[in-house]
Amino acid sequence: MGESDLAYGSSFSIDSMKVIAESVGIGSLGDDAAKELADDITYRLKVILQDSMKFMHHSKRQKLTITDIDHALKIKNIEAQYGFIQPDSLPFRFASGGGRELHFIEDKEIDLSEILSAPPPKIPLGVSVRAHWLSVDGVQPTVPENPPPLSKEAQKQESVDPMTKLSKSANEDATGKPMCGKAARLKASESVHVKQLATHELSVEQQLYYKEITETCVGSDENRRAEALQSLACDPGLHEMLPRMCTFISEGVKVNVVQNNLALLIYLMRMVKALLDNQSLYLEKYLHEMIPAVSTCIVSRQLCLRPEMDNHWALRDFAARLMAQICKTFNTSTNNLQTRVTRLFAKALQCPSQTNNDTGVGPSMANMKEPEKTPLASLYGAVQGLSELGPEVIKVFILPRVRWLGERIEGALTGVGGADRLAAGNLKQQLLKVLAPVLRQLRQPPDQPEDYKRDYGYLGPSLQQMVGKLRVSPAGGGGGGAVAVVTCTPPLVPVTPPPLVTTPIHVGVAKTVGSYTRPGPSPKIRVSVATVGDGGAAAATCAPPLVSVTPPPLVTASLHIPKTIESVTTRNVVISASPAPQSPVPATPPPQKFVIVASQQKPTQAQSAGGSGHIVVHGSQPAIVRSQNVQSVVVTSGPAPGTGPAQKVVVVGVAPQTSSSQHHNQLSQAPVSVVAKPVFARAAMGPSAPQPTQPPPELDDLSHLA
Amino acid sequence: MGDKSTPLLAVLQLLRNYNLKGTEEILRKEASLGDVEYENLNLPEVEIASILTAHHTESDPYSYEFAYDSLKKFVENSLDIYKHELSTLLYPVFVHMYLLLILYEHPEHAKSFLEKFSIEQEDYYQEDLKKLSTVKHKDQIKGNELAQIYSTNKFIVQMSRDASSQLKRYLHEQKNSTVIINIINNHVQIDIHDGPGRSLAQVRATAGGLLGEAPRTENRAKVYYGLLKEPDIQVLPAPIEDEEEVEETPDKPKKKKAKKENIFMKKPKSDPNAPPNDRIPLPELKETDKLEKGKALREASKRVQLGPDSLPSICFYTLLNSGYSAISADICDDSSLLAVGFSNSNIKVWTLTPVRLRGMKSAEKLQDIDREAGDVLVRMMEEKDRDTCRTLFGHSGPVYKVGFDPFKTLLLSCSEDATVRLWSLQCWTCLVVYRGHVWPVWDVRWSPHGHYFASTGHDRTARLWATDHHQPLRVFAGHLSDVDCVQFHPNSNYIATGSSDRTVRMWDCSTGIQVRLMTGHKTSVYTIVFSVCGRWLATGAAGGEVVVWDISTGLPTASLPPSHSASIHALAFSRDGTILSSGKLFYLFIYTLYCTYRKSYCY
Repeated sequence: MGESDLAYGSSFSIDSMKVIAESVGIGSLGDDAAKELADDITYRLKVILQDSMKFMHHSKRQKLTITDIDHALKIKNIEAQYGFIQPDSLPFRFASGGGRELHFIEDKEIDLSEILSAPPPKIPLGVSVRAHWLSVDGVQPTVPENPPPLSKEAQKQESVDPMTKLSKSANEDATGKPMCGKAARLKASESVHVKQLATHELSVEQQLYYKEITETCVGSDENRRAEALQSLACDPGLHEMLPRMCTFISEGVKVNVVQNNLALLIYLMRMVKALLDNQSLYLEKYLHEMIPAVSTCIVSRQLCLRPEMDNHWALRDFAARLMAQICKTFNTSTNNLQTRVTRLFAKALQCPSQTNNDTGVGPSMANMKEPEKTPLASLYGAVQGLSELGPEVIKVFILPRVRWLGERIEGALTGVGGADRLAAGNLKQQLLKVLAPVLRQLRQPPDQPEDYKRDYGYLGPSLQQMVGKLRVSPAGGGGGGAVAVVTCTPPLVPVTPPPLVTTPIHVGVAKTVGSYTRPGPSPKIRVSVATVGDGGAAAATCAPPLVSVTPPPLVTASLHIPKTIESVTTRNVVISASPAPQSPVPATPPPQKFVIVASQQKPTQAQSAGGSGHIVVHGSQPAIVRSQNVQSVVVTSGPAPGTGPAQKVVVVGVAPQTSSSQHHNQLSQAPVSVVAKPVFARAAMGPSAPQPTQPPPELDDLSHLA
Repeated sequence: MGDKSTPLLAVLQLLRNYNLKGTEEILRKEASLGDVEYENLNLPEVEIASILTAHHTESDPYSYEFAYDSLKKFVENSLDIYKHELSTLLYPVFVHMYLLLILYEHPEHAKSFLEKFSIEQEDYYQEDLKKLSTVKHKDQIKGNELAQIYSTNKFIVQMSRDASSQLKRYLHEQKNSTVIINIINNHVQIDIHDGPGRSLAQVRATAGGLLGEAPRTENRAKVYYGLLKEPDIQVLPAPIEDEEEVEETPDKPKKKKAKKENIFMKKPKSDPNAPPNDRIPLPELKETDKLEKGKALREASKRVQLGPDSLPSICFYTLLNSGYSAISADICDDSSLLAVGFSNSNIKVWTLTPVRLRGMKSAEKLQDIDREAGDVLVRMMEEKDRDTCRTLFGHSGPVYKVGFDPFKTLLLSCSEDATVRLWSLQCWTCLVVYRGHVWPVWDVRWSPHGHYFASTGHDRTARLWATDHHQPLRVFAGHLSDVDCVQFHPNSNYIATGSSDRTVRMWDCSTGIQVRLMTGHKTSVYTIVFSVCGRWLATGAAGGEVVVWDISTGLPTASLPPSHSASIHALAFSRDGTILSSGKLFYLFIYTLYCTYRKSYCY
């Protein structure tokens, strides 16, 4: 019976009957009996299925469920089948053996005691009603609940081939935007004219929205800004006001660069980020405004009023990442975006004389076309911008300029002027960070300091050390090294707030080389780990972050270090300071790549604001520390103290007890991002654990800066 | 063993029917039949006939194919004006040939016959053929719903007088094969009409029913489709005027009054098509109900005429976190309450306005209230007990339909557990459980005047109930399959039902007889709605098509072709009757009536 026709369904095979009979203990079922059974069962099953279809239809579903079949059995006066659960899909397993083939559903044995001991499952959310306008006078308003009036594909199509819009105007109805009679008549009369590509009328609601959003984005209320950015990043139907948004950003950057208003520049870049993240927008048509604005924020000579104090480096880093994102998303063979952007940055790295000769550098470079040298800040931006574009770019454009850059750095470090010295330090760290991984690939060991000195000038020895460390680290994380402290700051990107914990505790991460975005599971956590000093560099000091933010409890678990990082990192140690479990969480034994250190309960210590509430833990295993009311935690892992060089991790966490409660409200809104700072580094550690003595002098908290 | 004895048994029964005892005795002896079989003689009439008449062809299963082929050729070669009507004959002949082949136990031939000719049948019959194809054994015919329907009912074919004489001539020529003649005699009813043969489009418009088209005689009865003379017109102005005089500034009342009168004038004073007001006893309106009606009337005066130029605004309510469980919903007339029935047997009622849902005070507390007080209705409600959502528990199966009564105090629901329940929206409890349906109840609807309601279900009946009786007042039987939807006529005198047998029927509530049988749907009818004026009936089906019927003639006036194959689960006319909207999964369409052209608004 297996070979039944396609049009009228299939039926059970005799073999199936035999297998089923065997499963209930009937060993020898005759062929005739099996055939009779197969026919009968096929018929009965089909009738039941036809009835259950009725229940499916009346439940307004398009998917038949087990309850439908139960109801169909019930109206046939057959007892329903109990105990069948209904997962989303029922994968048939296949097994063969002894010349027989068998398809079956895997039915796992369930241990009841496990279920009983397990914590009760979460209560499902209650049903609730929500209303929105589907249509106002026949026109669909652009609210998040409605589908976007113009899909991203359509926008893309339009920007690639503007003629489609013209040809489509004949049958406007097809785009899903209905026209009322008046508009249709109007259209018929002007159908001769070439229709403009962009809609230039904004409805009153859209105008209000635009006003509200732009004001909030550059306003002073951080919570509302987070909401506004969230709206920009998620709402569909913004494409009609996109030209205005882009102009707003572009003009805003122009004005605020002149006025050196760092805060506003940061806000504008966050707007760019939000627009880039919006799934329903296609920005290609507006890149001519976006790219100059973003690149200005990367390489501009001065972005803030007090270059020696303010942290404009974070803005440059952030803008550079944006630029990389733009390049990645919109680069095509026709617009050669990445090539052009790369050329832009590369020119900043040219010798001043060459720069002078060039004229068409681009608007953002205008302020560099002075006879004197390119400022160090711009060099930093250019290096950062190039390094975000990938190792190849670094190899081709930065590496040949290392010697020259080294001279500049040397000059600045030895010269006078705090700002210059700071800039040079940053630039140096940046260069080391981006170059070391490339050099590691490029050069064969052994790394001789003399060779490096010869090839790369001033930076040679430092580079050699970095590369040396890189070579060692992936193998086993040996050798002490630089340590970075990560402070959590409100992010550049608004994210869903993590579940609150009672005591905010801070967090450190150890040293990584490179900066990356870390894709966490549910809360997006942006982690950027800044430069790391080379061995023996002076320890920096940390200040308690003014805005303390609770790290999400999942920080440790959520660490997926991107592959690109693996080659870069020497050792990543991540510490979460969530005051979560009573018992030490057995840190999932990680590969050598990183050590997870959670926190451990410690007796509460009386604290003074700047006191020394450090916990020092030594152990050969990754230590788990929970800290409460602790200002900082220092963890070293590695051999016991005194027996050998220990691997050190320094965590500086600050939880000002007084401020914790008042931050809670704020925290529920303020999401987390983590910016790393170099604190100090030592190549080899003595038995005594490092004590972070002072708070760091500056913060990476962008919102604070703003 | 059945092979030989079946015809013999049939003959025996025939002899017994004609009371020929002698012959019966002899035959029994000669055939040496057992007593048991003889005692169990109880073959259905139709079966005997087909067994006896087709006996001589029984041995030759090949004759069926030839016969069908020759009938097909006859239809194809006939004149164009007869062709389309004659072609409707092919499907019933095909079906019964298949059933006969099964009956005479030629399953292999039946299968090949089905495979060979089923593709040629109309696409809307394919679903039925699939169901029929599961029948592969004689015994299964008895148990199969569809095969039973075919063998116990006559398939109705409409054709012109000329076409039928053509057919007769052809049948006379077929001397050697009586198969077709037998089938047409036993299972097909040819409904002859005078006039020219119909075109393909005409035939297609009404074809598609489970048993063919509706015979013309079915739709002769007069239907009072006009609206009732509003009894409240005389009563109502008083309260309204009172209110308005209070509200209004003295300089404007004249203008308003004129306008208001205009609305009342619109109602025809004596509609020739309207039934007498006392044809169906209707409940007296209570004072509060009159207030509500007055409010609604005043609202109506402010209405904007909808049309292609002024499209409606739509508010979209979304149920969050409901999974697949929400299966029915209703919004009360003034859009202040939303009731949702769930597959987990719950009913939830939400308020859509800031007014919270309040419960009534307990009996002891109600004693204390001054019943003469003007605000007694407010006082009897509990002060503290207020909520935005109330849940009603009571059903033991999925709730397939919920409905608010016209006065917002009661809620009806029907469920898989074969009951209809009446709930109070003041006590938030179940008031009555109406048991009567045997199987799941698919739909329940209030009469526009309250008091009465109709329910339909899997038991193929529709029932008319009054809220104060625990038994149905009328049981409307006639549908051949599940009755999926029901709707009251605006004048409460009729109900219309749509069924899985692809017919729409209208029943008279006072006499209980069927007054309209409308065929033309190609798939199960899932939703049905009367126009505001009472003359038109719109139905939506599983295939996504919407048909608008003229009740006065029982013929389809407009058929809106499906734009998506998804089935239509909701239909609604706008209150001014100019716009019809249909809802299906993920889509909402709005049609303007009175012009067949569709504005394609797809949300």
